[in-house]
Amino acid sequence: MVEERIRSQSESRRVSSALLLETHGLTRHFGGLAAVNRVDLRVAEGEIVGLIGPNGAGKTTCFNLLSGFIRPTAGTIRFDGEDITRLRPHQVVKRGLVRTFQLTTLFQELTGLENVLLGLHLHSRRSLGRALFSRRRFPPDEVARSREVLEFTGLASQADQLARNLPHGHQRVLGIAMALAARPRLLLLDEPVTGMNLDESGRVMALVKTIRDRGVTVLLVEHNMKAVMGTCERIVVLNFGQTLAEGSPAEVSTNAKVIEAYLGAGLAHARG
Amino acid sequence: MRRLRVGVLIVLVLLMLLVPQLGGDYYVHVFALVFTNVILAASLRPSLTCGQLNIGHSAFMSIGAYASALLAKNLAVPFEVSMLCGALVAAVVGLVIGYPSLRLRGVYFAMVTVAFVEVIRLIAQLWVPLTRGMSGLSGIPKPNLLGVTLATKASQYYLALFLMLLTLLILWKLESSRLGLIWKSIGMADNLAQSLGVNIANHKLLAFMLGCFFAGVAGAFYAHFIRFLFPPEFGFLMATNILVYNYVGGRGHFAGPIVGAAFLSLLSEPFRGSAYETIFFSIAMLLTILFLPGGLITLPGKLAELRWWKSASAHSPSPAA
Repeated sequence: MVEERIRSQSESRRVSSALLLETHGLTRHFGGLAAVNRVDLRVAEGEIVGLIGPNGAGKTTCFNLLSGFIRPTAGTIRFDGEDITRLRPHQVVKRGLVRTFQLTTLFQELTGLENVLLGLHLHSRRSLGRALFSRRRFPPDEVARSREVLEFTGLASQADQLARNLPHGHQRVLGIAMALAARPRLLLLDEPVTGMNLDESGRVMALVKTIRDRGVTVLLVEHNMKAVMGTCERIVVLNFGQTLAEGSPAEVSTNAKVIEAYLGAGLAHARG
Repeated sequence: MRRLRVGVLIVLVLLMLLVPQLGGDYYVHVFALVFTNVILAASLRPSLTCGQLNIGHSAFMSIGAYASALLAKNLAVPFEVSMLCGALVAAVVGLVIGYPSLRLRGVYFAMVTVAFVEVIRLIAQLWVPLTRGMSGLSGIPKPNLLGVTLATKASQYYLALFLMLLTLLILWKLESSRLGLIWKSIGMADNLAQSLGVNIANHKLLAFMLGCFFAGVAGAFYAHFIRFLFPPEFGFLMATNILVYNYVGGRGHFAGPIVGAAFLSLLSEPFRGSAYETIFFSIAMLLTILFLPGGLITLPGKLAELRWWKSASAHSPSPAA
């Protein structure tokens, strides 16, 4: 039984060697509304893929499905060849698929360092005995690792600030830092630069590229078209829960259907 | 600052060690009950930190009390063992109740705990052959340690002090470790905690069972100290009192429930058992919500702020001048 599973797993891995994430017919209904409708999403290892679309197109629902926060009505999600469709959020993370949240969802009353320490949750050795008899609050190697992540994301000087006291831009980056501490293979970023000025969003997008260069695949949802076009290698456009178009930034931005969808939803969005 | 705090703690513990020498049996009795209340209040904190409103904590005290008393009375089990068994029974019942209901959020979980406290009270009232029901369970042996019976009130007082300090030490170590950080994270943003790989259901359950265990310890001590158990004592009223200790003391710091339990149980001592007790607790809760939302532990900070503000306005020229 187990052998069979291992074999089937390694076979599927061979078939889709470069594919890290693959959804097949992913569908989610809310009442009568199909928020996500038969979406086939493919993300290859090492890519930066953008998921765009007008408001209400189903992007965030897609993220919630992929990260296990809601269950699909139909369809499957495979991550690195393994079926993860029915897993719960903390089990999805264990496999290396880590998400961030749209708004500044942080542990507001904890310091930056403590936030990142929580990101290390899956990689920390903890036990009741250690908690009761250790003289130190946290293992020094975990603190050192958290400081490294803060350094890497440019938040080193904010380590001891309460998260709620950080400026908006830093709060968003702290969210990414926590996700990084969980050592993702695929990082799902939900609107990482929304509400940032040009300078800040430029820095975050540069960070996203560095993260990818270190071997993490990135799938991001973003409304800021300048950021998306400048960073993503491939873009998937959703509209009314369905895939409208897919391709390079140049292909997508000249696609007639895409332009129509965005003009219908408002010209401002298309121009970012 | 840290040294000052440690110093204050040492002085407090020394004072508590001296109570039997300084006061009579009355004070010894009152303070032993205060220590039980501190254990109860502090043991509710892990669950509250996870964002779970438990309005039925007294049920687990009741379970620990009856289990330990019955074991000691009917089977002559020594106190150390019966207390541990009582606490473990409370924790196991916590597991059975918590496993399905901790998946419920907010007010729904609170409703389950309210119902549970009544169920336990009714079981204690109606299972007459075992608990003697409304006649009350009497003839519970005095606590003993290593075969020596703690006959005097003073020796029982020291037992209560020891149990309280041990409980607080364990809970403090856990709260200040990574485990406590996880509890806080679940209370602040459970979806984010999940997205970092925290199994929130398991952690909520662990925090809840830990609280049940120490409520059981408090119950076991209480049973062998008062030596009489009466089902309605562990009802909804006591459960809300434990919650009020936490809120009046303050939710933001480990010391909150300790301060709250000590302050309220000492102040309400003249009304103990009368209808005025309920009124007193209600007023304390109302005043806290209105004037000190952060609880009593935020009082020193508030006073310092006030003094600073007064001196600042005294030095600056008034607008009229």
